Amino acid sequence: MKKFALAGNPNCGKTTLFNSLTGSTAHVGNWPGVTVDKREGVYKKTPEHVAIVDLPGIYSLSPYTPEEVIARNFILDEKPDCVINIVDATNLERNLYLTTQVMEIDVPVVVALNMMDAVEKNGDAIDAKELEKRLGVPVVKISALKGVGLDELMQRAYDFSSQERKGATVLKDSALAHLIGDVKIALDGQDVANPLFHAVKLVEQDSIEVEMHKDTVKMVEEFKATFSDDVFGDDFEALVADARYKYISKNFAPVLKRREEDKFVSTKSDKADKVLTHKIWGIPIFLVILFAIFHLTFSEDFLYLGAIFHLPSLEDLGLLDADGEFLNFGVKLLACVYDGAVFSPGVIINKLWNEILVGELFGWLGGLVEGSGMEAWAVGLINNGIFEGLAAVLSFLPQILVLFLFFSILEDSGYMARIAFILDRMFRKFGLSGRSFMPMIMGFGCSIPAMINTRTLADEKERTATVRVIPFFSCGAKLPILTAVAGAIVVWTGAGNADLITFSMYLLGIVSAILAVLLMRNTTLRGDTPPFIMELPAYHAPQFKNLMIHLWDKAKHFVKKAFTIILASTIIIWLFSHFSFAWKFLEDEEIDQSILAQISMFLQPLFTPLGFGSQLGANGWVFVVAAIAGLIAKENVIATFSTLAACLIAGGAISGAGLEVEAEDGIDAVRAMIDATGIGVPGLIAFIAFNMTTIPCFAAVATAKAELGTKKAFNNTLLFWVAASYVIASAVYTIGAFPWTIALWVVAVAAVVVCIVLRNKNLAKKGA
Amino acid sequence: MPIVLAPVNAALKIVKIVADDKTKKHLENLGVTMGGEITVLSSSGGAVVVKVKDGRIALDTMLSKKIFVA
Repeated sequence: MKKFALAGNPNCGKTTLFNSLTGSTAHVGNWPGVTVDKREGVYKKTPEHVAIVDLPGIYSLSPYTPEEVIARNFILDEKPDCVINIVDATNLERNLYLTTQVMEIDVPVVVALNMMDAVEKNGDAIDAKELEKRLGVPVVKISALKGVGLDELMQRAYDFSSQERKGATVLKDSALAHLIGDVKIALDGQDVANPLFHAVKLVEQDSIEVEMHKDTVKMVEEFKATFSDDVFGDDFEALVADARYKYISKNFAPVLKRREEDKFVSTKSDKADKVLTHKIWGIPIFLVILFAIFHLTFSEDFLYLGAIFHLPSLEDLGLLDADGEFLNFGVKLLACVYDGAVFSPGVIINKLWNEILVGELFGWLGGLVEGSGMEAWAVGLINNGIFEGLAAVLSFLPQILVLFLFFSILEDSGYMARIAFILDRMFRKFGLSGRSFMPMIMGFGCSIPAMINTRTLADEKERTATVRVIPFFSCGAKLPILTAVAGAIVVWTGAGNADLITFSMYLLGIVSAILAVLLMRNTTLRGDTPPFIMELPAYHAPQFKNLMIHLWDKAKHFVKKAFTIILASTIIIWLFSHFSFAWKFLEDEEIDQSILAQISMFLQPLFTPLGFGSQLGANGWVFVVAAIAGLIAKENVIATFSTLAACLIAGGAISGAGLEVEAEDGIDAVRAMIDATGIGVPGLIAFIAFNMTTIPCFAAVATAKAELGTKKAFNNTLLFWVAASYVIASAVYTIGAFPWTIALWVVAVAAVVVCIVLRNKNLAKKGA
Repeated sequence: MPIVLAPVNAALKIVKIVADDKTKKHLENLGVTMGGEITVLSSSGGAVVVKVKDGRIALDTMLSKKIFVA
C-alpha cells in the first residue's frame, strides 16, 4: 500500500482534508515520545488503497518545536510515496514558505491549493497552471470544506508518486547558493540521502544537522568567517529565510491576481475583529458568550422564563400522584423538558439520557439481577458495585459532550484564538499567557480533556503550572458534592442560599488557582512567560462533520479512560466496605467493621485541622471514606455517602433526627447521616474545599502523568495537590470555626510572601 | 519606530527585530522578516494585530515593542 503524508501550516484546512479523504478509517494515536496527535487513515478511491498520515501543522521544517521535528523526520525517515502539501490560498506567500522547504527533499510533492472558494469570493484569482509551471510540481485547486477537487488531487498525487523526484531549491540566486552547492556535493560524496535538503539546513546551522554532520559543518564555518551581509551579518538562518520570501514574492506571488481596488479593503473577518477584539468590549462580549454557553448547558431555568413568568411546576399542574410520582410515561418525558421552568438544551439532553435511557436500562438490569436468585453478596456487588458505578460515569456524559460541542464551535470558528489574545494581558500578570485560558475553562467540564489541551502551550513550565491548577476549576463530577452538601447546609441551618454557597465554592477554586499559579511562577516554576505570537485564522462557520468528529474523539477518550478506572474503583470500594480484614462478608449493618471503615478510622486524626477528623462523633469516619473514595473519582464522594447512609440507617447506627426518611431517598439519607455525625457548617465547607482542590481522580492523574512527561514533575504535582487541599481546607475550617485565627493566617501568608520576594530579589542580584 | 506606536492601516516595512533566536525564527515562519511588509490592523494598550502576507497575527506588548518598522 502506498503511503502519502499531508503537510501544511496550522489552520490551512489540513485536518478537514484528512477527514474528508479518510472518513471512517481514521484513527488517532500519539507520535512516539511526544504528546502530539498522530492521525492515520486510508483513502480507497485510487486503483490501489493509499495510507494517509496527517503530519502536525507546521510553519517550517526547522527543529524548534516537536511538531516540526516530527514532520521533518517522518518525511526524511519514513519516506512517504508522496507529500501532499496543503496551501491556504488566502495566505499564499506565507504558506509557500513551507512548500519551498519540502521541495528540497527528494520526494514527490503535490500542492493542494485549498480555500480557493474564499479567494474567489474576495474577487481574487489564482492561476494554478502558472503556479504549477513555476513550482515544477503538480498544483491542484481544492476546497477541503466543500469536498471539491479531492478526487483529482488524489489521482494526480497517485500518478506522480510513482515518479522519481529530485529536490529543488529556490535559493539558486541567493548569496549562499555556492556554499549550498558545495556542501551538497560533499554530502553526496558521503552517500547522504536527500543531500540538497541537508545541505540547506546545514548552511542554516540547524541544530539537528550540525549534530549529524559534524565534519561537513566546518565548510560552513570557514565560509562564514569570510562573509558578511549588510542586514543580516553572518546569521545564515535569517538570510536563508529572507531569500525564500524574496523568491516567493517575486516568482510565485504574481500568480495571485487581486481585484483592482484600494489596498485596504477590510475583509469580513477584519470587521468582526474590530468588535470582538475591541479593547473595551472584547472582554465583556466574551464573558457574555461564556455565560451563554454555561447557561445553555447547565441552567435549569432556560432564559429565566420560569422565574420571570412564575410558571407552575408539574405538581401545581396536578400531574403528579399522591406520592409525588409521575402519573404516566408522558409526564415523565415532560419532566425532562419542563418543571416550573423550561430547562436549557444541555439539561434536557442530560435528563432524557439519565431518566429515560440510563435510568430505565439500569433499573431493568437491576431487577433482572435481583430476580435471578443469585447469592446476596453477588446481587449487592453487581447492583450496588458495578451498575451504580457505570450509571455514575454515564450520567455525566451528555453535559460534558454539550460543553465540548460549544467549545469545538468556538475553536473551529476561529474565535478561540481571539479569546486567548484578549485575555493575554490579564493572564500575563499571573505569569501565564492567554493560551492557558482555554484548558482552564475546559476544566469546568472535565479535567482530562483540559489537561490534554495544554499541549497548545509551548513553554514547559507554564504548561506544568496550568496542568496543576486545572482541577481547581471545579469539574462536572464535583458538582454533586457541592449541591448535596450545600443543600444540606441550607436545609439544616434554615439560612443562607445553596446557589450562593455553590457559586462561592467555584470562586474559591478560581482564586486558589490564581494564587497557586502566582506562587509557583515565583518559586519552583520560575521563568519568563513566553512572548505571545498567535495567528488569527479567518472566521468561518464551523462544519457539522468536523464538529461531530471532534465530539466523537472526545467522547471516546472520556468513556474509555473514565469507564475502566471508575468501574474498577467502585467494585473495589464496594468490596472493601463489605468485607472485614478477616475477609468475611459483612451485612450492610456491619459496615463499621469493614476494611474501608477501619482504615478511615485510623486516618481520621489527620483530618482534624480540616474539621472532619477526630472531633466528630461515632460516624465521623464517613467523611474520610468519602474523601478517600473521591481520590479515585469525584463521583464516588456522594455515591459513597449514599451507600454508607443506606447501610448505617438500615443498621440503626443513626437514630432520631427525624429518620422516617425513606432509605431510598439518597440525598435525604445523606443529610440525616451528616446531621448525625455532628459536623458543623465550617467543617462541611472545608470538606467541600478539600474535595475541590485535592488529587482530582485516577483518570485525571493518569492524564497528568502522560502530559507532564517527567516523573519528577508528576510527583511534585501529586504533592502539590495534597498540600494545596490540606492548606486551603484547614484555612476554611479554622477561620470558619474560630474567626480569630484569621490573624494567624494573614501573618503566615505575609511571611511566605516576604520570604519569596526577598529570595527572588537575591536570585535576581546573583543573576545580574 | 516600534510597531506599538505605528499608525493603523498603513503599509510599513520591518527594519529591526530585537528578540531571541527562537522567537525570531517563529516570527520568520509567520512571515515577519526583516524588510518585509507589515500593516497594523488594530492596536490596543500595547498589544497589536498585524497583517503580514495576508495572514493576521496577534502580538503582545512585549513583542510589539521589539519589532521596529519604518
